[in-house]
Amino acid sequence: MMGPTGKGTGSNAWWFLPWAIPCLLLLLWWAVSATGVIPAYLLPHPLDIAGTGYGYIFGRPEGGPYAGRFLSDAGASILRVGCGFSLAVAVGLPLGILSGRLWFVRKLMSTSVNALRAVPGITWLPLALVWFGIGMKTTIFLVAMAAFFPLYLNAASGAAQVNPLLLQAGAMMGVRRLRGTFAILLPGAISHLMTGLRLGLGISWAYLVLGELTGVPNGLGAVIMDARMLGRIDMIIVGIIVIAVIGRMSDKLLQGGMRCCFKSARRMR
Amino acid sequence: MRPNLRAVPLPGQKQKETILHIERLSKVFHLNSGYLPVLDKISFEAKSGDLICMLGRSGCGKSTLLKIIAGFLSPSSGRIVLNEKPVTRPGPDRCVIFQEDALFPWLTVGENITFGLKGKKISEKQKAAEMNRFLNLVGLTEFRDYLPRELSGGMKQRVALARVLILQPQVLLMDEPFASLDAQSREDMQNLLLSLWKELSHTILFVTHDVNEAVVLADRILLMDKNPGRIREEVQVGLPRPRERESSAFLNVTRRLNQALRG
Repeated sequence: MMGPTGKGTGSNAWWFLPWAIPCLLLLLWWAVSATGVIPAYLLPHPLDIAGTGYGYIFGRPEGGPYAGRFLSDAGASILRVGCGFSLAVAVGLPLGILSGRLWFVRKLMSTSVNALRAVPGITWLPLALVWFGIGMKTTIFLVAMAAFFPLYLNAASGAAQVNPLLLQAGAMMGVRRLRGTFAILLPGAISHLMTGLRLGLGISWAYLVLGELTGVPNGLGAVIMDARMLGRIDMIIVGIIVIAVIGRMSDKLLQGGMRCCFKSARRMR
Repeated sequence: MRPNLRAVPLPGQKQKETILHIERLSKVFHLNSGYLPVLDKISFEAKSGDLICMLGRSGCGKSTLLKIIAGFLSPSSGRIVLNEKPVTRPGPDRCVIFQEDALFPWLTVGENITFGLKGKKISEKQKAAEMNRFLNLVGLTEFRDYLPRELSGGMKQRVALARVLILQPQVLLMDEPFASLDAQSREDMQNLLLSLWKELSHTILFVTHDVNEAVVLADRILLMDKNPGRIREEVQVGLPRPRERESSAFLNVTRRLNQALRG
């Protein structure tokens, strides 16, 4: 339900605003390519990119090295992100909420979480390769490691900042702890939880590419790495755009899903 | 169906039974700089259907007292007995109306009001009937599907009243609930509270620093002093209801209380 004034959300007349910057960049790119300021081996013409992208997505396998690989690459990558992100949510959210509410858990976790958080995600790559080998497991590990921290930290601060009056109100209305957690604590922390989920999912895509750079046969990161070896800059750019589009769609899907499932997400300010 | 109206004698009749005992309640806060005694051996009793105001200036511990009775804080010594059972934690037999907005912002007015009924063995139909009855009692029927942020301060407090009254609490604890409202809304809310009290006959403990408010509402006023918080005097208001805010009898009582507060 919307408030009586739709202030701040923008009316329908402004639907194009989110697309203004991408369109402007595209125009600029087109101009640069058309005038030849930057040579095509550094930045191919948008139409060439479109052609490569079309072939990548709709082409038949016999049409070239990358033709028609989109579905299997995207499928593999989405599976890896999905598994890694789910793992991070399953561990990070409950742990974060516990540490936001219970000093014992907060103290217990503080050194470990903050020390591990200081280690750049890429540092785990060599270790993960030794432990899990090249492929699925390594990528999932990296994604889960990276997504854990924003999820954990936001869940913790969300749970800590829930208005104590709401919890008192629940207690006086006879709400016991378990129901209070689901009926008051989680909805009360929803905006922080959403932030954590969105940051976590975003960073999942970043670490997906990292995990796939190591010689796996399929996946969007693998395609980009492969194209670099072959000097196919058009394919690199297609890969980047595909990841951007899928990343944006997954964010929308996450928000839509949360709104669909939780009143508090729907009615969030 | 649960009984809607409890058969409690009208205010002023004699056969009311004492349900709430506050026995030598003290509270000391432990601060970095030492001990701060906040409440000192508070004792009083409330009969079923009493409307008692705790009147005092800020810092006299009246809100702390209410929180202890609600079960949010534990006393340093002394005890509270409600219906022969000692009070140790919050429960739906003692509901609080907070000064600040404590509605669940993600629930509509109707959902806020039925929140406490969830998990109870009542059919959806009965729940809806109860919700409509209490929406109507606080005059918010048309606002059932509004969110709290779309309501004025006075309307929020009406929802807060409805969501605890629906639980049929033994004692209603009100912590300066109308203090942040404008004068007109405050008077409306006082009148609403009185009419609800007449209909539902809850026992009400009402904390306020506003002498007028105390005299409009209370059967008895517990006048509190600070450092440490204690009951200085118990005043029986004894004015007939409905009370005329402009009558000389009313003004006499407020004048006396104002002097006592200053003194």
